[in-house]
Amino acid sequence: MGRTITSRLCDCGLFALLLVFAPPVQASSPDDFIRTVSAKAFSSLAEANISDADRIDRFQHLLNESFDLAYIGRFVLGINGRRATDAEKAEFQTLFEKFLVRAYANRFRDLTGKKLNVIRAEDLTERDSLVITRIEITGNSPIPVNWKVRGKEGAFKIIDVTVEGISMSVTQRDEFAAVIRQNGGKVEGLIKALRRKTGD
Amino acid sequence: MCVGITGPHIVSLFESVSRRGVRPLVCVALATVLATGCATPPPASDKEAVAAFEKDNDPYEPFNRAMFEFNLVLDDAVLRPVAYLYKEGIPEQIQYNIHSFLSNLRSPVIFANDVMQGDMDRAGNTLLRFGMNTTLGLLGIVDFATEAGIPKHNEDFGQTLATWDVDQGPYLVLPIFGPSNPRDAVGLVVDTLIDPIMWVASTDVQIGRRVVEAVDRRARHFDAINDMQTNSLDFYSAVKSLYRQRREAEIRNGAPLKSGPAPGRLSVVPAGGIKDQQSLNANPDK
Repeated sequence: MGRTITSRLCDCGLFALLLVFAPPVQASSPDDFIRTVSAKAFSSLAEANISDADRIDRFQHLLNESFDLAYIGRFVLGINGRRATDAEKAEFQTLFEKFLVRAYANRFRDLTGKKLNVIRAEDLTERDSLVITRIEITGNSPIPVNWKVRGKEGAFKIIDVTVEGISMSVTQRDEFAAVIRQNGGKVEGLIKALRRKTGD
Repeated sequence: MCVGITGPHIVSLFESVSRRGVRPLVCVALATVLATGCATPPPASDKEAVAAFEKDNDPYEPFNRAMFEFNLVLDDAVLRPVAYLYKEGIPEQIQYNIHSFLSNLRSPVIFANDVMQGDMDRAGNTLLRFGMNTTLGLLGIVDFATEAGIPKHNEDFGQTLATWDVDQGPYLVLPIFGPSNPRDAVGLVVDTLIDPIMWVASTDVQIGRRVVEAVDRRARHFDAINDMQTNSLDFYSAVKSLYRQRREAEIRNGAPLKSGPAPGRLSVVPAGGIKDQQSLNANPDK
């Protein structure tokens, strides 16, 4: 058993390294990729005896390696992106990622009785596929969840999640557009709101 | 036309909930409605803004926001606390029985809409489910059909109108009933009228049914609503987007949206089309 302090330090270092590089999840097909991501989420995020801070770290790591956050960021900013300066775009992206982590990390606290079943994958375009899944919850009707996956073998990334027909990206884009509109069409207004929300 | 909605009827609705703490909010909401019944469209010279305004399809936004706030106040004061007690205090098995019973009661309306949409397969499915659940499922308290592999689906007259190519009209937040549009509001009325229970049960039973339905629905979505409320920057807009996407999915009977709204593109092209498509599409692929 005797794990030395050095080996623990080594683990920590390795973990930090993973956080920095976040290599793509290895998978041979889009549905296989979703299976892998889901298995990771279940094994690492739903662990009962980890602190919320640890869960947030792990979630951030998983988010970075499985989602194309740069693409999603551009999508949710939509046409308003063209009114933004480069500095605003960069700040928006940082805040948006922080916002996602805050909003979603703790939803994985309790996954008992939940299971993700991959039904099938369909080609959307040459590089995009739709992976159709059901989240089975004991004693409830299953929830249809579809994953839009982009990329090729060994380098897949999720670009949208649709829950019961509701696209997370579209909802986010509509909401952000409304905030910008209320601020006289200024992206700065959205950035301020995100700063407040993420506690910056 | 816009101002017509904000009649004395709504004023009295507001009055009925004005209490300590609620009053300032209600006054603000009411003032907003009376002052600006309609949203101000952007100047015609700003084509992008005009297209965004039309796509948003919410010309009564100030009124809708006031209604939304009103509903939130009601939810805070009544529905949410009751749903919480229901969710935490009643055994899950009983909650399941209540939910199944209420779902089964909706079968005649679902069946009628399946038929009106010309979907005989789904109509047969609804009929079979109703027969099984009412008998083997002990008047519906057990969803026997789902256990037997015949899953439930929902239909309503709003969806039927959509399959008949009736336009949804502008976004509308109804007092108490929440997010809607003229098409779904008509649907709500027609579904109530074609429901056989409406013609046989006493008023008390019917009100009781609607109240328990509302509590059941609120309790089932308790955590999701909580999450959304805490995590949104503009809850009103998030709910509007959600409602529309949800209704579109229901109209497609849950079939995945294959082409999808292209990234950065307007998901709905405003009536009359967009001349300068390129100027509207920021391409996230670049």
